[in-house]
Amino acid sequence: MPTASKGVLVRCDPSIRALILQIDLTSRGIVLQELDSTHLMIKQEMVQFVKDELNRLLLKNIYDPMDGDKQ
Amino acid sequence: MASNGFCARYIRYQFSPCITIYIPQIWGSTSHTLTMSGTSFKSTVNEYLEALPDVVQSRIYDAPATCLSIFRLLPSLAKFYVMSMLFSPKPVAIKDLEKWCQPQARRLQYESLKRLRALHLIENDKSGTHVRLHPKFQNNFRDCLTGSQAPNAFGIISTEPENKNVDIKFLDKFASQKWETILHFMVGSELPSVPSKSVLSLLKLGGLMEGPGNSAATLRITNSGFQFLLQDVNIQIWTILLEYLNLTLDLNMDAVDVLNFIFILGSLELGKAYSVTSLSETQLKMLPDLRDYGLVYQRSENSPRFFPTRLATTLTSDSMGLKTPSMVLNQTLQDAESNEAESVDTAHQESQMGQIVLETNFKLYAYTNSPLEIAILNLFVSLKIRFANMVIGQITRESIRKALYNGITADQIIRFLETHAHTQMKQLAVEKLDKKIEFDISHNINTAGGAPQSKSTDSTNAQHRLEILPPNVVDQIKLWQLELDRIQTFDGYLFKDFQNVKEYEVLCNYASEVGVLLWSEKSKLRFFVTADGMTQVADFASRK
Repeated sequence: MPTASKGVLVRCDPSIRALILQIDLTSRGIVLQELDSTHLMIKQEMVQFVKDELNRLLLKNIYDPMDGDKQ
Repeated sequence: MASNGFCARYIRYQFSPCITIYIPQIWGSTSHTLTMSGTSFKSTVNEYLEALPDVVQSRIYDAPATCLSIFRLLPSLAKFYVMSMLFSPKPVAIKDLEKWCQPQARRLQYESLKRLRALHLIENDKSGTHVRLHPKFQNNFRDCLTGSQAPNAFGIISTEPENKNVDIKFLDKFASQKWETILHFMVGSELPSVPSKSVLSLLKLGGLMEGPGNSAATLRITNSGFQFLLQDVNIQIWTILLEYLNLTLDLNMDAVDVLNFIFILGSLELGKAYSVTSLSETQLKMLPDLRDYGLVYQRSENSPRFFPTRLATTLTSDSMGLKTPSMVLNQTLQDAESNEAESVDTAHQESQMGQIVLETNFKLYAYTNSPLEIAILNLFVSLKIRFANMVIGQITRESIRKALYNGITADQIIRFLETHAHTQMKQLAVEKLDKKIEFDISHNINTAGGAPQSKSTDSTNAQHRLEILPPNVVDQIKLWQLELDRIQTFDGYLFKDFQNVKEYEVLCNYASEVGVLLWSEKSKLRFFVTADGMTQVADFASRK
């Protein structure tokens, strides 16, 4: 008998998938299922948290030309 | 006499969907074009209609004009279903409905039927195997098409001669002046007159502006207000009208009456005068408000006639409402014999629009002093310097992200920059394109990619794109948008633990046919469906 389980499907490229798994390592229980190289299934309540964490991690690698002006 | 005029008019328009009756099998192949036709403003109107309580919904079908307008707002396949069932006295078997579509169009069919059911246009009969049209809707819409509706269903044309000459040009001017006053007020331009009180409170209720009290001086534009400004006129009007509908409920006005009047306006003829005698009390009360929005023109408060403007008559149609400045510009360029009034208009608009220079280093110079344009630029450019007649700014990742967060898309930004690009940028782009094409022809190659073997000039032309903006900036803006949604998320359910491949395939195929399948993996026998499709797939599984 097939079963159905509730969750949120995340579609992303492999590098982002690796990052999400990284986040999952530090705060457990986000990822429900690892589907394939571009898909993950995560908990519904954690979607916003994952997005915020991703933003934070990605921001480290951005060069902002306006930074110099502000100082 | 008046009603006959109307029938002839909409039969001409409305019978065109009938052609599809003879070629129902094409639905499968044209699915992609059909799904694109649903624009956002229509979905908001439809959402509003679908959310109405049943009692109200069945009452709005009393008016033929409403039936016609709702029919116009339906997706094409839904129109086809309505037309096919319209003259059938007996309910139609659901099984027969499914035969009208190819299996690969099952998703379209599912969506159309869902829409029809949500509007209560079709309902199951007692047995549950047959569907029929809503009886009132069926009668009224049939009367519409055959021209036997009540004579005042589409308003009564006033026969008394009007003293003042009210022609289409005058109405267009009136409507755009009224509407632009509202838009300019929103961005805080200094105006000789402010919009009326009712408009101000609507803007506030709709969340487009905010501030203490309702006085004109204290209101400020909100983020959603800025988004509103970037929309098409038609969408803007529907936004305001839906807000107006909500307001009328609080004022104890009959929503059905209000809605009917809005839909009647959508079916009136531009440039004709209509008598107010056929209107109900509620509708009479609406007239001053509609005049404030520029939807109707009345010479004075107690005038027995009103004129619908272009803003009103295009409410439920696909054609454009008032022309956007760039459209006016294009038209006058093509149309050499345009009359004087229009060219004056264009010259005026040219002084405001088409003055943005964008460099490859993301610096932007805008020769403008219009608060509206500067305010819009401020949405996605970090402005640095302002002179009397120009502003200088820089497009940065942060400024674009800020805009994207506010719901503005990269395409909107690029389109805005393209339509407002400085004439010299356009000239340069055209020259560059000509050179490219010339080079290609003389060397018999094609630098634009595509099929190099095609030698005709026409096809070469088609493959080259006119690049008004620096391509690197355009690409970067698009990349920034992509970066924002590095992950796509979908709520739904994962199906797994299937006993065998056959069981998996039956369910998985069904899910993909009705268009709810998001992901599947055959080797591990699992697939993911949308939250909406869950009940459907579960039903199907239990039926098996």
